[in-house]
Amino acid sequence: MKTRRFYALITFMLGTLFLLVYTLPFIRSLIVSFMTWDQASKIPPDWIPNPFTLENYMKLFRIELLPRWVMNTVLYGLAISLSNVFLGLMAGYSFALLKYPGRDIFFNAILALMMLPMFVTMVPLYVILVYFKLIDNLVALPILGLVSVNTVFMARQYFLSLPREYFEAAKLDGASRVRIFFEIALPMAKPLILAIIVYQFLGAWNAFFLPVIVLKSPENYVYAQGLNYAFSRTWYVEYTPIIAGTIIGSIPTLVFFVLFRRLLIGGIVIRSYRR
Amino acid sequence: MRNRKNFSFYSFFTCKKKYEFIEGMLLILPAITVLFIFGYFSFIYAFYLSFLKWNYITDPVFVGIENYVRAIDELVKGISGAPWYEVPFFMGIRNTLIYTIIVVPIQTMLAIVLAAIVSSRIKGSSVFMTSYLLPGFTCSVIIALIFIYFFGQRGFINYLLNQIMPGFGYPDWLYSKNLVIPAMAIVAIWGTSSNLAILFIASMQAVPRDIIEQARLDGAGPIRRFIHVILPMIKPTIVYAIIVGMIGALQMFDLSFVMAGPQGGVEYSGMTVVLDIYRTAFLQLNPGYASAKAVLFFVLMYIPTLIFLRKHGGGLK
Repeated sequence: MKTRRFYALITFMLGTLFLLVYTLPFIRSLIVSFMTWDQASKIPPDWIPNPFTLENYMKLFRIELLPRWVMNTVLYGLAISLSNVFLGLMAGYSFALLKYPGRDIFFNAILALMMLPMFVTMVPLYVILVYFKLIDNLVALPILGLVSVNTVFMARQYFLSLPREYFEAAKLDGASRVRIFFEIALPMAKPLILAIIVYQFLGAWNAFFLPVIVLKSPENYVYAQGLNYAFSRTWYVEYTPIIAGTIIGSIPTLVFFVLFRRLLIGGIVIRSYRR
Repeated sequence: MRNRKNFSFYSFFTCKKKYEFIEGMLLILPAITVLFIFGYFSFIYAFYLSFLKWNYITDPVFVGIENYVRAIDELVKGISGAPWYEVPFFMGIRNTLIYTIIVVPIQTMLAIVLAAIVSSRIKGSSVFMTSYLLPGFTCSVIIALIFIYFFGQRGFINYLLNQIMPGFGYPDWLYSKNLVIPAMAIVAIWGTSSNLAILFIASMQAVPRDIIEQARLDGAGPIRRFIHVILPMIKPTIVYAIIVGMIGALQMFDLSFVMAGPQGGVEYSGMTVVLDIYRTAFLQLNPGYASAKAVLFFVLMYIPTLIFLRKHGGGLK
């Protein structure tokens, strides 16, 4: 019994240490975002903002393009959420509940794409966008993100997990497959739709690689890209406004994490079980 | 009985089969078209581009394997000690390999430790879990920007290191040739271990309780139980985490772009392969050479990874 408590204590201490490691960067940033740059660059570090200042946030919001970056990101997230819900649900339903020759070949071909790294396809994608005159156009991002392999996979797994009896019964009652889709599958797919939207939105908020390749002029940037752009022009002058920017940038993630923790964690686990 | 009763239904069904095929195909067609164009077509197109000399504007010239010869030549020159500014591709591969070798083992072990702490069911383990998992969902650029402040000359990391080892000094990590890759590695380990911990938490929960109980009754302490009972049970997850980690680390781009800058940092010390491909394609406007490098790196790095996955990842499910 004694050793058990000893191990529990060790685990607790180790757990607390890691808790600090994984939260301190966020906490420190939050504190520093209310400091002047002079105070923030002190050694040893100060932990209480003195004077407490909102100047960093003011400076951040004085960047004229900031609202546009936020809006661009939100629009991008909305667009790919919408298209992923539509195309993903259609494909997932077909892969899971209809039976026809070639279905599994197509599904495996899609799954195999997961292994194709972005750095191989980025140049061709750029050339395709050049051809359609979509470079430096915000529309290019949602086009590249119309539907993701992940969405199709998630939708298929979800429809497979629904009890088949519902669909069999409807079929026996003579409902057409179109009706089955709209009146049975769709209402039951609400959790799936929510999951797709959460994932795509967070994906858009975290996107960097594609925006960097596609978007050239600062007014078209997404938030992360814009913040990096602002940073690259102010480094060494004053970093605290950028810290304030990282706090603003973490808010959507934090909100999504608090609201949809189980969904986000579940999605990552599901993804590891595919083959 | 049932079959007989439904006989008419089944014949009705078979004659509808053709419709099911058409409907099924129509439903997957949009997704398939998009994914195949952006996936397979682009892949083949990259292969085609790698044989061209082109700058997006003038007419492309077919140059055969010249781009590949140039890339391999750059590697050979780099190995035999050419100055850094002549061999960005070599610098990229070297840095990426160093980075991968640092990051993958540490982040996997850390993720296992985090998962073990969460699964130990001590008081507050749900608080621990929440705090461990948040970095994994945060944007890598945001994380990089947070850490740039910590890695500054008068930043928190230098302060901490000087507390632990007096006399460490106050280097500027991001502008120091030897420290920029370790700095990126630390950031990546912090973020990815958080993400991988989820997998290990799930797979540790799937370990049957009675096996652990049995080991306890047999007199195995917590550490022996962990090493001899839990670790073997989660081995497939470890293999998966290593592979996912390798694939991620080899393609690293965001962190080097933000922390070392798009030009690869001081003397290309923060250059990675993907950053080099990006520069070649979009800053030096040489899509042919960039594609050749991409295809070459894909073959060199990915095929071994995929073979490893085929061999050792089969137990996953």
